[in-house]
Formats: sequence, C-alpha cells, structure tokens
Amino acid sequence: MGRIVLDTVTKSFGESQVIPPLDLTIEDGEFAVFVGPSGCGKSTLLRLIAGLEDTTSGKILIDGDDATQVPPSKRGLAMVFQSYALYPHMSVRKNIAFPMRMAKLDQSEIDARVEAAAKSLNLVDYLEQKPGQLSGGQRQRVAIGRAIVREPAAFLFDEPLSNLDAALRVGMRMEILELHKKLNTTMIYVTHDQVEAMTMADKIVVLRAGHIEQVGSPLELYRAPRNLFVAGFIGSPTMNLMTGAIAAEHDATTIGIRPEHISVSATEGPWKGRVGVSEHLGSDTFFHIHDTGFADAITVRADGEVDFKYGDTIHLTPRADVIHRFDAQGLRIA
Amino acid sequence: MSDRKIPRLLQTPAVVLLLIWMLIPLGMTLYFSFIRYVLNNLRRPEWTTPSLSNWRGFGNYEFVLNSKDFLLAIQNSLFIVGSILFLTVILGVLIAVLINKAFPGQGIVRVLLISPFFVMPAVNAVLWINMILDPVLGLQGLAVDAINSVIDGLQAAPLVGGFFSLWPDFQPISFRATQTSALAVIIMVTWQWTPFAVLIFMTSLQSEDQQQKEAAILDGAGAWSQFRFLTLPHLARPIAIVVMIQAIFHLSLYAEIEIVSRGNGNKNLPYLIGEFANNNIGAASATGIFAVILANIVAIFLLRMIGKTLME
Repeated sequence: MGRIVLDTVTKSFGESQVIPPLDLTIEDGEFAVFVGPSGCGKSTLLRLIAGLEDTTSGKILIDGDDATQVPPSKRGLAMVFQSYALYPHMSVRKNIAFPMRMAKLDQSEIDARVEAAAKSLNLVDYLEQKPGQLSGGQRQRVAIGRAIVREPAAFLFDEPLSNLDAALRVGMRMEILELHKKLNTTMIYVTHDQVEAMTMADKIVVLRAGHIEQVGSPLELYRAPRNLFVAGFIGSPTMNLMTGAIAAEHDATTIGIRPEHISVSATEGPWKGRVGVSEHLGSDTFFHIHDTGFADAITVRADGEVDFKYGDTIHLTPRADVIHRFDAQGLRIA
Repeated sequence: MSDRKIPRLLQTPAVVLLLIWMLIPLGMTLYFSFIRYVLNNLRRPEWTTPSLSNWRGFGNYEFVLNSKDFLLAIQNSLFIVGSILFLTVILGVLIAVLINKAFPGQGIVRVLLISPFFVMPAVNAVLWINMILDPVLGLQGLAVDAINSVIDGLQAAPLVGGFFSLWPDFQPISFRATQTSALAVIIMVTWQWTPFAVLIFMTSLQSEDQQQKEAAILDGAGAWSQFRFLTLPHLARPIAIVVMIQAIFHLSLYAEIEIVSRGNGNKNLPYLIGEFANNNIGAASATGIFAVILANIVAIFLLRMIGKTLME
C-alpha cells in the first residue's frame, strides 16, 4: 500500500522558498511522474517525500499516517538515485542484501530475496562482481534490485535514466514499466525529459519554480494544457505558439497548434510560407517554415514520404478543431 | 632503429643518473662494511684511510651482531614505527570524521590541527620533553601534583574521606628513563604526525559520495553502519598511503631519540649507526646494510598488506 498525500507542504532554504505551499495526492499503485525544467523543485519534492529533506511546514501522509517527522528509513520508501549510489566496495550480492542486513533479517531470507531479485533483473551472473565492473544499465538494475528487496510501500526514482545512452534508456524505460505492472506498487519518478513522462506516467505532475502547473494523465495534458507553460513543455516537437492578428481572429491573445495538426501541400492551404531546414526521421519529417507572416518559424510534421526542398514555397492547413487558445494571462480558454 | 629503441634511448640519461645516485652510495657503504675503517686510531694509523689492504670480510657484521645494542635497536625501530602508525591512523580517522561536519570555527580548528606538522622535529622533542613530560617542571608534573593535592583534600572530607584515603599518592613518570624514553618518542611523534593523517583523511572524506550516504540512510543504516560499511572502506586507500609514507619516515627517526635520552635504553637503527660513525665507519656501514635489509623486509610486508588496496 502506498497512498502519498502532500498537505500544504512548503520548503525553504534560508530565505528562499523553493516549494511554495503545495497539495498533491498520489494514489496507491499509481505511476506518477514529476516533470519540469531543471531547478523547478521536482527533486527537492522527491527528497521531501523520502525524508532526506525536512519540510518547512505542512504534512506528508503515507497511507493516512503522518510521516512528516518519521525518519527516512522508517517511511517504507525505496529510492533509486541518478548516480545509482551503489556501495563500491561491496559485491552486487552484498549491495542488494544491504537494506535487509540493516533490518537484521535471517540470512536464509536474505539469500532467497537476493536470488529472486537477481533472477527477475537478469543479474544472476554478476552477483559476485563489484559495481565498478558493470555497465551503466547493469548498475541501474542493481540499484533497482536493492530497492525491490525492501518491498517498499512506494518507489522513488530520481532521474534514474539520465546517465544512460539513448538506446539503453528506451530499454530500461520498458523494464521499469514492466516492473510497475508486476509489483503494482506506487512509483514516483522525477525527470526533466517530457518523453519519459509521456511514455511512462499514469499521472504527470508538471512543475515550475515549485508550483504545480498541471496534474493529469499524459493525454489530458497533451489535449488540454492548462496554460502556455504546459502547452510548450508537453509534446515533441513543441507546440507552435502565435500571437497578434492571427490569435485575435480566434478571440485569444495566443493560439497554439501542434506540428502534427498541420497538413502541408505544395499548392493549396490558407497559410503560405517558405521551407527552412528539415529534420528527416524516416517515418516522419519535421519542416521549419518561415515567412508565414505571423510567427518566426512554424514547425510542421509531415509524412516521411513528403518531399520539400530548402527554400520551396509551401502551403499549410491547420486542423481547426485542435487549435489551443490562451488568454492574456496565458491560461487556456475552454 | 625500431619503435621501442628511441624512447628507451631518450630515457637513458635519467635512468643512468638515478642509478648513479643510488648505486654509488650503496656501493661505498658495502665497500666500507667489508674493510677496517676508523676515523682515529693511534696504534693502527693505516686503518684511518679506506683501502682494500684493510679487508675484514664479515668481521664488521659479526662485530655489529654481537654488540649489545643491535637487537635492542631493531626491536625498538619496529616498536616505535608500529606504535606510531597504529596511533596516528586511529586518531587521524577519528579526528577527520569529527571535523568533517560543518561547525562554527571550522577553518580555525583545521589550521590549528594542522599546525603541529610544521614544528621542526628537534623543537617538537625539546618542547615535549622539557615543558610537557618533565616530571617536575612539565605539565605532567604539575598535573600529578594537582591530582595528589585534590585527593589529599578529599581524604579529609567527611563521608567520602574513607574511600579516598585508600588511594595511593600518584608518582609522575620520568620519560627520560631507560624504560619509558621510547614511549616519550612515540607520544611526541604521534602528536606531530596525526595532523598529516588528518589532512589526508579529510580530503578523502570530502570526496565521499553523498548520494551513497543518502541511499544508506534510506536503507536503514545508522551512523555506525555508515561509518563501518561506507566511510571506512572509502578510507582504505588513504590509510594505505599514510601507513606507507609514515613507515618510511619513522624508520629513520633520530632527533627525538637524541634529545629525549641520548639513546639511553632507546636506540633505533639510525641512532646506532650514528653512534658507530663517531669513530668506526666500518661498523656503521655494516649497520647501514642491516638497516637497508630491515627497510626492505618492512616494505615487502607493507606491500603485501596494502598493495592490494592501492592497485584496485
């Protein structure tokens, strides 16, 4: 069980308040992702939940019990760090066994759990090696193994994949998701990568300067961003935002349209522009369009087959039903 | 020339210079250790110049082995070095861990801690033996006097007087005596070299991974477990370095021994060499060769014990 509630939690370092009063509920078994640009307080929030930082005010409830003053080891949470934080002098086996050894479990119980964890994480062959001899992905798995054996109420991940190369990252992403489905335990995952957030989360929490900008499922955030910040942060490539006359036409201060919601044509369409650089991904091509008269550059996604050269004239047709409108305060107009 | 010859050729001057640097003194020591060579002898003036005609074979070695101070000197060398290593490493680790935490006045405390290291060995010895360890005028004498007078006062007190009258009068220890002069040397060198250990351990502690500590806290490790399972293994390498460097330095202690007791009951090998070298260069050289052998034995043991940590 792991239902985590933050009740008007704040955190200040000296004079500066990094987390203004914040309320958040993470349901049992949920995969919640904290996402935001660096310095937005997402890691601090995770450390507050873990107990590595003290809250300045407010309460943290874990399964309904006030855990604000409970020491980190007694909160029943396991954390996976960005640097893995493995103990370099111990073998993989001893690393995984360490929390159980600290909890003074029976040696037979420890062995059984280590074996089980190693098996499920494909680490059986490496149990006697030191962390220094393992690759980044294997180290990450050891760190996860060390978290699993504690059978925690919730897992906390602090940017666990940012030290891995791109190919490995996709693989580990799937493994963590698989683990979540298997264990059905609450997981809180911190990342600055919106792709990780979109692909993994049940619930995304978008943070900026300690404020929660929006909470919702990945598709809710994608379809109905509450404000300009979320609109710009979620989705890749980012949403095209336009102001001025074109926005006024839609009774808004700013309008936004995603690159995938604009279709291109050589001959017809309401908007006209000149093709700049293009990014070919094979399946898709992203064109950067200039000289449209209402924005510096507009990004559009087209099928990989579509072929335009640098400098070609291009016509664009936005899908009218998915134009996002924002008012002068940057808030969404329903 | 092949690819390998050019680098070898370029290294040659340095290697040759180093060899000369080492081999000439070593060769001369070996040569003197096999001949009769004294600085002053009125009956046999021919012994005062080194010459192969004064060949003595292993006679100098026999003379040294049979001299009454030789075994004592070897024992003392090992005892002093071993004790200093043991004490400096333990004190060094404890103090380094203690001052690694942030506290007000940290900068001043650190400078004060390092300062004994900048005292000259001879000054260090004079200060300790005259001002601190002296049984009458030193802090030790004053402290023992004070304790005795406090106990005297308590003996007259009601209730607890009976208990304190069972206590003996404490006697100050004379650290210049045959039995205790080695201890004085150990105390003063430990005082001087603990800062060195602290300095090395402190820099190492500052490079300790904080996320590992946080992971250990979440894993339920208390302060002792963190020290035992994270900090101590992390310090293995600096401890090895401190032990190696200090072993080399302290095998050649001289000033402290000279000042504390003039070698009275407390000689080590360098001091014995110095005594022989007052006149008998042949015996001093033979002792020097023994010292080289001892240093090598110590080095082999150290490398066996510590080398593994350094190589990892």
